Amino acid sequence: MTDQLTALQSIFSEFYYWVTVVMMFLIHVGFCMYEVGVSRNKHHQATLMKNTMVIPLVTITWFFFGWWIYWAFPTGPGIAASIIPLADGSLNYGLRTDDGLFNANSYLANSPLMGVNLTDHLGGVFWAAFLLFSWTAASIVSGALIERITTFAFLILAVAIGSVFWTIDAAWGWHFDGWMLKVLGYHDAYASGVIHAIAGGFALGVLIVLGPRIGKFSSSGEPRNIGPRNPWLVTVGLFLIYTGFWGFYAACNVPIYNLGPEYGVEGVTFWTATNIYLTPTTLSGITFNFLMSLSGGLLAGYVISKGDPFWTYSLGLAGVICASAGNDLYHPIQAMIVGMIGGVIPYKLHYWVENTFKIDDAVGAVAVHGYGGFIGVVIAGFILNGYPSSGYSVGAMWDTSGTFALINPLGNFLGAIIMFLVLGLIPGYVLAKILNAFGKLRIPREVEIAGLDYQIMEDDKEAEKAFTSTATR
Amino acid sequence: MATVTNWIDVISATEAVGAVYPGAGTMVGNMSHETLLVVIGVVLWIGFHVITSISESEKLSQIARKRAGTNDHKNNITNW
Repeated sequence: MTDQLTALQSIFSEFYYWVTVVMMFLIHVGFCMYEVGVSRNKHHQATLMKNTMVIPLVTITWFFFGWWIYWAFPTGPGIAASIIPLADGSLNYGLRTDDGLFNANSYLANSPLMGVNLTDHLGGVFWAAFLLFSWTAASIVSGALIERITTFAFLILAVAIGSVFWTIDAAWGWHFDGWMLKVLGYHDAYASGVIHAIAGGFALGVLIVLGPRIGKFSSSGEPRNIGPRNPWLVTVGLFLIYTGFWGFYAACNVPIYNLGPEYGVEGVTFWTATNIYLTPTTLSGITFNFLMSLSGGLLAGYVISKGDPFWTYSLGLAGVICASAGNDLYHPIQAMIVGMIGGVIPYKLHYWVENTFKIDDAVGAVAVHGYGGFIGVVIAGFILNGYPSSGYSVGAMWDTSGTFALINPLGNFLGAIIMFLVLGLIPGYVLAKILNAFGKLRIPREVEIAGLDYQIMEDDKEAEKAFTSTATR
Repeated sequence: MATVTNWIDVISATEAVGAVYPGAGTMVGNMSHETLLVVIGVVLWIGFHVITSISESEKLSQIARKRAGTNDHKNNITNW
C-alpha cells in the first residue's frame, strides 16, 4: 500500500467484509435455534449437533478446494471464454488456472495467499464471506432432513452442497466472469438461485430418497402436522436469520470501487458500491429493498397462513429470498410485491408437493428456499428485462470475447432450472442414492422411534438418580 | 521455522514481503511446507469421516437394541 487512498480503500474493504462475516454468523445461530425449535424433544441434541458440525467440515473443505472451484470454473469450463485472456492473448475457455488476474491457483490451499500475507488484505475476509454462504447452503438442507438422517450422511451431503455444487453455480452465475452472465444474461444479485434455489433443490433430491419421518403420513397417506415444539426458539432463530441475511446483503457488495478505469472508460472516475457482478448499486438502495421485501413476505405470509406463526416467519424469509435476485435494482414497492409473491407461492407449493408426492420437508426449507428462490430468479428476468448483466459488455478493457447478454426472462428461467434442478436436485438425489445403497443414509427405525437423544437422556437420568440418592443421605 | 526475524527489515524492504507464517516458502523433501500442511489437513478430514461413521453406527445400534417406545424418552427427562 503505497499511498493513503489505496491504504484507506484496502483497509476499509478488509474491515467491511470482516464485519459482514461476523453478522452472517448469526444466520447459522438462527438455523441451529430454528431447527431445534422445530424438532421433537427426543431429537433436540442430535439435531443441534448435526448442524453445528457443518461449521468445521464445510470450513476446512472450503479451504481445501471450495474456494479454488469458485475461481477456476467461471468459463464452465468450455462454455464461454473468460474476459481475461491468456498470456499469449488467446481466449481461455478452460479452467482459470492460467497466470492471469484472479486465477484459481492463487486460491489453492497451498498458495502463499491463503494465510497471513502482508501483500493481501482481502483474501481471507472475502474467502470467509463466501464460506458463510457455504454454511448457509448446507444449513438450508439440514433442516429438511431432521430426525431421520444419519449425521455421517448429512455431513457428506453438507460438504457436497457447501463446498462443491453451490460453488460451481456461484462460479457460473455469480462470478463477474461467469458464463451464465455472458450466454444467458443471468442476474441474481443476492442469491435467490445461487444459494437458495440450489440448496432447496438439493434438499428435495435427498428427501425423495430419504423418505418421510415415521408417522408423518397416515396409512391412507394423509399428512399429519408435526408442528414446532418450541415456537420461541423458532421465532428468535428466524429473526437471527433475518439479521444475518441483512449482513449477507452487504457481503454480496463490493463496498468501494472506481468503475471508470475498471470498465476501460478513459478519463472517467466513478466511485461506487457495486453488487457481486461489479455493476453499480448502493447500500442505501438495497436496505430499502431488503426491508420492503421482508415486509411483503410477512404480510402475505400472515394472510395466506391465517396468522400461523411458524409460516408467517418463514414466509417473511421467503419474501426476501424471492426478491433477492433483483434487489440491487428494484423499486422498494416492486421489492415488496415480489416479496408477497414469495410469501404465497412457496406456501401453496409446499402443501401441494406434500400431498401429491408424500415429501416430508420438516421445516419447509424446500418451499422457502427452493421454490422461493426459483420464482425470484424467474421474476427478476421479467422485471429487469433489458438491463446489462455486466458493465464489461461496453468497451471493457478485458472484453475480448464479445459481449455479455442482457438480462432477459428466458435466460433467468433457464438459470433457475440450472440452479434448482441441474446443480441442486439431481446431485442431491444421486448422492442420497449412493449413501442409501451403503445403508448409511437413514437411522434405524427403532432409533427414530426411541429418539436420537435417547441414550444421552437416559445417561442424564441415571446421573440425576445417583445425585439424588447421595444428596438425600 | 521463523519466516521473519526482524520486522524492521520487513517494513523497509523495497519489495513488499508476502507470507509471514512459520515455514512460508520452505521445502520439506520434495514438497513445499504449505503442501505438506494441506496433505495433513486432508488426512485429518477424511479420518474424521471414517471415525464418525464407525462410532455413529455403534451408537445407533446401541439405542436400537433397547427397542424403546415412542414415548419412553419421557421417563428420562431430568428434573435438575
